[in-house]
Amino acid sequence: MNEEKQALFEQYNRRTHTFGRIASVITLVLLLGVPFVIGGYLGAAPDLGAAASGFLAIGLVWFVSCIAEWLIYTPMLGAGGGYLAFITGNLINMKIPCAVNARDIVGVKAGTPENEIISTLSIATSSLVTILVLAIGVALLIPLQPLLQSPALAPAFDNVVPALFGAMAYKYFRKSLDIAVLPFLLMSLLFILVPSLIGSTSFMILPSGALAIGLAWLKYKKTGGAAA
Amino acid sequence: MSILSQLNSPFMYIVCGAIILFIALVSLFFLIRAYRAGKALGIDTTKMKRVIAASATFTLLPSVGILLGVIALSGSLGTPWPWLRLSVIGALHYETQVATAAAEQVGLGSLSASSMTATGFVTICLLMSLCIMWGMVFSTLFSKRYLKKLGSGGGAKSGVPGFGDSAMTAMFIGLICAYLGSYIGGFVSGNGRFTFSGSWLPIAVALVASLVMALFVWLSEKKQLAWVESFSIAGSMLLAMASAVLLGGIS
Repeated sequence: MNEEKQALFEQYNRRTHTFGRIASVITLVLLLGVPFVIGGYLGAAPDLGAAASGFLAIGLVWFVSCIAEWLIYTPMLGAGGGYLAFITGNLINMKIPCAVNARDIVGVKAGTPENEIISTLSIATSSLVTILVLAIGVALLIPLQPLLQSPALAPAFDNVVPALFGAMAYKYFRKSLDIAVLPFLLMSLLFILVPSLIGSTSFMILPSGALAIGLAWLKYKKTGGAAA
Repeated sequence: MSILSQLNSPFMYIVCGAIILFIALVSLFFLIRAYRAGKALGIDTTKMKRVIAASATFTLLPSVGILLGVIALSGSLGTPWPWLRLSVIGALHYETQVATAAAEQVGLGSLSASSMTATGFVTICLLMSLCIMWGMVFSTLFSKRYLKKLGSGGGAKSGVPGFGDSAMTAMFIGLICAYLGSYIGGFVSGNGRFTFSGSWLPIAVALVASLVMALFVWLSEKKQLAWVESFSIAGSMLLAMASAVLLGGIS
């Protein structure tokens, strides 16, 4: 990349952080403020004591989970994609696989300007499509409800995530089987021996990912930085 | 007016719809900026259009799944609030859990319209926002420094991304392994260790999705049908979910 383009990208990146931060702060204010606005309409105020004790009881777990997600996914998504993904949510079940798939389709590498652009395009498109689908769905909620909630279709919608990860597994395992086998076997064994962990699968991504990164590092060293 | 009617009132739709509109405009703004920057940086516009098309098709099916989450919560929290929560920050696997736990914390016993009160509802709303906002807080405060430290864009000069790219791919493989492992664990020990009486449907669905994906990859690589790649994930998911309907009848 020549100097002119490098300067252009750096300027774009700086502004992305500025816009991302502004959008995040506005969203935070809106989300924390809206319960009070709704409270004004309903003639009730949030019980702050109950909210605080509730946060201590259930929120701390999610606090840790959110930090882990931020640490893991920010480098994957880059600046623009990262801000948008944390604003719009549904990371594990949608945004992350979507951005990784987009990156894979056009063959860009993490940490490059191309990845920053592609990741932002992917997350922004995904967010807009989700917003659109939900808006149409909510508008058609009454006529659609019997179809979407029909017992016949229930297994399909109960298995969106297995369908997603099954497809992604073929795509990624075939290229990196040596990295995938051990974490897959270990995770399966762990969930078999300690079934209570199944409810905390999102937390188990950390050890599984750490093991996979360790194996990728060994491979990287072995091949002199040419693979993985 | 019952609490559920109030929660489904035009006022609620306007308030929640306005915030969703704001998020949609932010997404559109980032999309246009990235596209223009990509063009200026010399990224092939055909590639960028492929990314947009692939991301749109990829998102369709999971979005319908998320819509089901809205429907599931609408019975107790009305439609506008779950619509907002699942459009902004929210996550399908998170919302129901937190809403239920929050209902217990505010003394409602369970998440249901019959026991819902105005105070209970707004406290649940606040708690749902408080619990999941931390990714956004951290990205606002620390992402710039974090990415700088990691050297995001640092590969721009050399064009060589180093181990970072391999690490990200490996992390994603780890994520997939954790989920696939949980399906196997659920089948083998979900109803008691080594009882083999849990649901095998997620394993079967993941397997079908893998097989269909293999077919897409074969078409793309061996039959030179590169265009199918953009639809490979959505197509694999659709057929795997259809298989769940068929297999669901015999499971």
